[in-house]
Formats: sequence, C-alpha cells, structure tokens
Amino acid sequence: MRSWITQRDAFLFPREGDGWLSLLRVGLGIQTVFYAISLRHDWEYLFARNGHELVGPDVAEALLSTQSPLVPRLGWLTAVGIRIGLSESIVLSIAWWLLVIAGTALVIGLFSRASAIAAWFLHLGAAKSAGFLSYGVDNFMTIGLFYLMLSPLPDGLSVDRHWREPRRQNRQLLGFWRRVLELHLCLIYFFGGLAKCLGSGWWDGSNLWRALIRPPFNVLDPEILVRWKYLFPVAGIIIALLEVSYPFFIWGRSTRKIWLLGICGMHAAIGLAMGMYLFALVMIVLNVAAFAPDLDFVKDWRQRLPKGRNAALRHPLSAAR
Amino acid sequence: MRHKRLYLAWLALHFLVIVTISCGDVLWLVAHRLTLLPSRFGYFARKAEPIKVRALGQTLTSSNPVRRALLTYCHIAGIERGYGYFAPNVPDSFRLGFELYYPDGQTEYTLPSVNSRAVGLRLASLLDQLGRTPHAGMREYLVKKMAQNVWREHPDALRMRAAFGIVNLPSIDEFRHGKGEDFEFLYGYDFSRSDAAAALQDR
Repeated sequence: MRSWITQRDAFLFPREGDGWLSLLRVGLGIQTVFYAISLRHDWEYLFARNGHELVGPDVAEALLSTQSPLVPRLGWLTAVGIRIGLSESIVLSIAWWLLVIAGTALVIGLFSRASAIAAWFLHLGAAKSAGFLSYGVDNFMTIGLFYLMLSPLPDGLSVDRHWREPRRQNRQLLGFWRRVLELHLCLIYFFGGLAKCLGSGWWDGSNLWRALIRPPFNVLDPEILVRWKYLFPVAGIIIALLEVSYPFFIWGRSTRKIWLLGICGMHAAIGLAMGMYLFALVMIVLNVAAFAPDLDFVKDWRQRLPKGRNAALRHPLSAAR
Repeated sequence: MRHKRLYLAWLALHFLVIVTISCGDVLWLVAHRLTLLPSRFGYFARKAEPIKVRALGQTLTSSNPVRRALLTYCHIAGIERGYGYFAPNVPDSFRLGFELYYPDGQTEYTLPSVNSRAVGLRLASLLDQLGRTPHAGMREYLVKKMAQNVWREHPDALRMRAAFGIVNLPSIDEFRHGKGEDFEFLYGYDFSRSDAAAALQDR
C-alpha cells in the first residue's frame, strides 16, 4: 500500500522545472492577443445589444443563466459600465483592450498571475456571451487559461521573477500542474481518436475530403484535392490512430518525439488547409508546453540560456527509462 | 508538500467529470447508431447512458445547488463538452440565405455578412447549432435577428424570405463527375418590412 502511494506521488507530484510553464504562459499570451485581434472588427457586431448585432448575447446569456448564474459573461461588464454612466460601446472597447493588454502582459510575464486571471475571465466572458458562435478554439483556450492561472506563476523567464518576485516556486506543485495538463491532453486525444475510429469515413478517407470541402473550411481548391485522393484513406487512418494512441506513446522517451511532432504537424496542417489558425495555435501551444520540455533538442536549447533561468527539466518517467 | 490530499481530491473529481462527459458522448454516438459498431452495441449504450446522466447530476432539478455548482465548475474549467470534433463522421453543413423582393419586382439573394474569416468560422458554428436544435422557436428568433441586419443593408427591399437548409457535400467520385454541393431546403421564414419595423420598435 505504502509503495503504491509512493509511486502515485512520484507520478502526480514530480519535482519539475518551470520551462513548461514559460512555454504555456508565452503561448497562451500570443493566442489571447491573436484571438482579440481576429475579432477586432466584429467585436461589437458579436457582443453589443444596439440593434446592429449579428444575433446578440441575450439568448446565449439567458440560456447560460438557466444552467448557472455564476459563469462569467460580458453582460456583467456592460451592466456595471452602464450603471456608472458608460455606454455599452465604450465598455466593450475597454474589455477588448483589457484582453489585448492581458495577453501582452502574459507574453512578457508582467503581473503574470493577475494577467492570467484577467485573460481567463475576459476570454471566458466573451466565449459564453457569444454562445452559439463559439467553437473548439474557445474550449481549449478556456482549458489552457484555467490551468495557467492556477499554476505556480511567475516562472523563471518572466519579467516578474527578475523584477518583483525573485523567490523560486514549489517544484512539486509545478510538476503537479504539468501532470494535470499532460493527463488532460491524453484524454482529449484518446476520446477524440476513439470517436473518429468509430466512424467509417476516417477509414476510407471520405471524412478528410468532406472536412476539406465543407464550407467555411474549404480553403483549398477541390480540383487540387482530387489529385491527392489516394492519400486520403492513409491520412484518415493515421489521424484516427495518432489520436487514439496518444496516451500510450506520448510518455515513452523513444516515441514521444514522433507522437508530438505528428500531433503538432496534424494541427499545423489543419490550420493551413482549413483556415483554422487559432485552433491550430492553441493545440500546438498546449502540446508543446506539456510534452516538449523533455525533448533533447529543447533541453540543449535551454542549457544555452543564462544560468539561473535554466531550471532542471528532468522528467521522472523519461528518467526511469 | 502541503495540501497534497486536497490537490488529489480535486484531480480525481476533475478527471472523473472529464471522463464521464467524454464517455457519455461516445455512448450517445453508439446509442444513436452513428458508428461502425453493430446495432446490438446500441442497446448496451442506451442502457449505460443514464449512468452518465446521474453522475453529472442531470436528474436533479435545474435549481439544485449541487447541479448548479457542477455546471458552473464545468463551464469555468472548459470541460462542459466532449472532444469528438468531426467524429465519428464529418457532418454536412447548414446554410442560411435571404431572398429579397423589391417593389419593382426584382429579387436579390444574399447571405449573412461578417467582416472577417474568424467570424465566418463562428457563423458556421451558429448555423450548425441552428440546424441541430430541436427548439423551433429559438431557431426562428435567431434567424429573425440575422434578418434585421439584412434589412438594414437593403433598405429598399419590401419583403424577405429566409431559407435555412443543409448543404449536402459531394463524394470525390461525384465531384469528379461534375456534381457540386446540393442545397436541401429545411425551413423557410417570411418577413415583411412592417415586421422589421415592429421588431425594432419593441427594442
């Protein structure tokens, strides 16, 4: 029994460096800025209640309230703003700028914890107010920002560490939060891959064809795609198997690089071929932060950084092998 | 390390919720015979579905504090839905078009407009949800909201018909033989200029 508890603790609370947290913070900061910029011209069109909106946040927020009145939404901010005499348009502009500032602060690591909380709150508020207009990218940004704000910030590469908080973090806590992110990614890919394996279209390649010609993902000319039709069954099977086997092969020292490159390559291809750049970026950020810091070339790169910033990145599972 | 048990308890609960929701999604697919599995698996999946419903407190009343707390947590952690994107198969997409009728007898066809590709992806998500929702009233309300923008962009139009339907995608072989997308009409909504004026006055 005692040995089981020791093994469990060694797995769930490994002593980790903070390299993964730096990657997560910078990556999600960039993602937050790009997210805000991508919606700049439609921000009011999505969230205002001025009669010029696409569908407005009213229905989404009302439905959300039936589930829980405590989930953040932009309606809270506009209600407060209107109460103190600001127009809805100004409140929405302030919210957009705050999102950009929070994302930028995350990139440089300034007020890291407060920035992570602000980015999580504002993004979640926007995603929930948009309701029917949100899709996968919002889900994964919420997951990433939720873990980021709970992780032991600031990390060694942040401005905070050198300017405001020179103390080191609890390395077991760093290991715990990294493990949470790793396990969550394993579940995401396992269940995503399992559902794909249960569909006939991933085995004969027809799903890949349909995904690539389906509006609004039809970035590539179908005439070009037809020339590559023999690759679709192979690519479909590779995608389904890569995802469903992710939790089994991502931990091993010898297979990690292959699976990580495969998954990141898949997301990059989805981003380019289907125009889902933000979705691709957030998935690559989460994967790289969770599993890349143990790869040899990343270790080599980190060892070239100035001393004091380079926390040890030994991974207990990799070391055990 | 302090509070280790607290972290462990949170971890167990957090991943239990994720696994329950994800398993529930897979079971739903199997129960509705949307997978490769033989139909007898559907029977077992239907038997197992209530376990997920109970585990997530969905049998409790909507005002029950436990249910509300769990739903709040799922939303703020981003774990309220599963991960079966484009699975088990890529569905057909939905399209909303507006046919505008002018006093001089002319007609014009237009689509909901957005300013960027990023919002175009979100609009597709909205149309998918409108197509799948069982609530006809909500679908009509949201189509009406989108129609208001079309009125503004086309102030001379007298009447408008919104056509909501499914876009059937061709297979590779069908495409090679010259077949394109097929629009299958599902719902139609007729609006007149007076309806729009009344709706704006209601605001």
